[in-house]
Amino acid sequence: MEAPERGKPVLIVDDEKNIRLTLSQALEALALDIDTAVNGEEALAKLKEKPARLVLLDLKMPGMDGMEVLRRIRKSRSPARVIIITAHGTIESAVEAMKLGAVDFIQKPFAPKEIRAMVTKVLDREALAAENAGSYEEHIELAKKSIGQQEFGAAAKRVRQAIAADATKPEAFNLLGVLMEMDGNKLEAQKDYRAALALDPTYKPAQENLGRTTGLTSGGQMSMGGTVNKPCRKE
Amino acid sequence: MASDLFIVIVGCGRLGSHLANQLSRAGHGAVVIDLAEKAFANLSAEYSGFSVEGDATELAVLQQAKVGKADIVIATTRDDNVNLMVAQVARAEFHVPRVLARVFEPRRKPIYRRLGIETVCPTSVAAELFLESIAAPLTLENRP
Repeated sequence: MEAPERGKPVLIVDDEKNIRLTLSQALEALALDIDTAVNGEEALAKLKEKPARLVLLDLKMPGMDGMEVLRRIRKSRSPARVIIITAHGTIESAVEAMKLGAVDFIQKPFAPKEIRAMVTKVLDREALAAENAGSYEEHIELAKKSIGQQEFGAAAKRVRQAIAADATKPEAFNLLGVLMEMDGNKLEAQKDYRAALALDPTYKPAQENLGRTTGLTSGGQMSMGGTVNKPCRKE
Repeated sequence: MASDLFIVIVGCGRLGSHLANQLSRAGHGAVVIDLAEKAFANLSAEYSGFSVEGDATELAVLQQAKVGKADIVIATTRDDNVNLMVAQVARAEFHVPRVLARVFEPRRKPIYRRLGIETVCPTSVAAELFLESIAAPLTLENRP
């Protein structure tokens, strides 16, 4: 996965020098661009000048506090994700901040590994969201195309993206089941067929697939619903 | 030593603060725990770790310092019993991979060893240095 929008920094906002230092040191290993601000005003000025990918924001700061900074970031419709830094025992304010749109929070003191794990998680989510930009139908279409080309790994990825885009339609789950079955994982496949049927009990392809794999109906081919240039066999 | 371990130090006296300053300067994440807030004055200006005020024999205080995430715990208080207890809790309760304790009473060393706790005994270390000094002939260089 290529780094999306390189050059946009991670902005660390904390009035305490040791926190800024700890965070920058911990994130060094991730090869991210890092910028720091010592208070809310500076943070907003920096964000105005150059948008950030991610903001690590301390809630308790003299002058403008983190909550106000968060409010203003949201008001400015900045796309930056915000992770809140809180002191021990102040979960309530962290929850309050998440209601205002922060994606996660981390409690002091933190271990370098912990910080990296959280930042990686949030940035990966962002990358995934960018990749997921596509409609359910497009993902399904591309999944079927991949199956047609016997590229089952790519197909599975597309199916998952389709599910992420719309988890209320049965077709994606049925396709996931088909892929599982091709992979020899019959039990997983049946779970997926059942998931498809739970969403729509009248969805024929999943009925057929579940019937066939549980031996209730004999014979038949895997049913993917709609048109596919039938390969249905793993080499 | 890897360059960014997460190390919890119990006791911020002369030894604890010295270790914390050095380890922080070396780029490790550090937390010091001490009963008295004024002990943290021993930390240098470059110290970039955290400090937790509280009694390390209380589970909640160890949790607050995130001992569960620590790669190393070092117990440096002046009280052998406190060090032994904290070290044992770190090992048994939080499964910290490496636990070290200062122990003044050399006879207690085997107990710690059995519990998987490494020890440093200032009494033995000082005694060895004294003996070494006595054994060495007094020369111009080492004359006080």
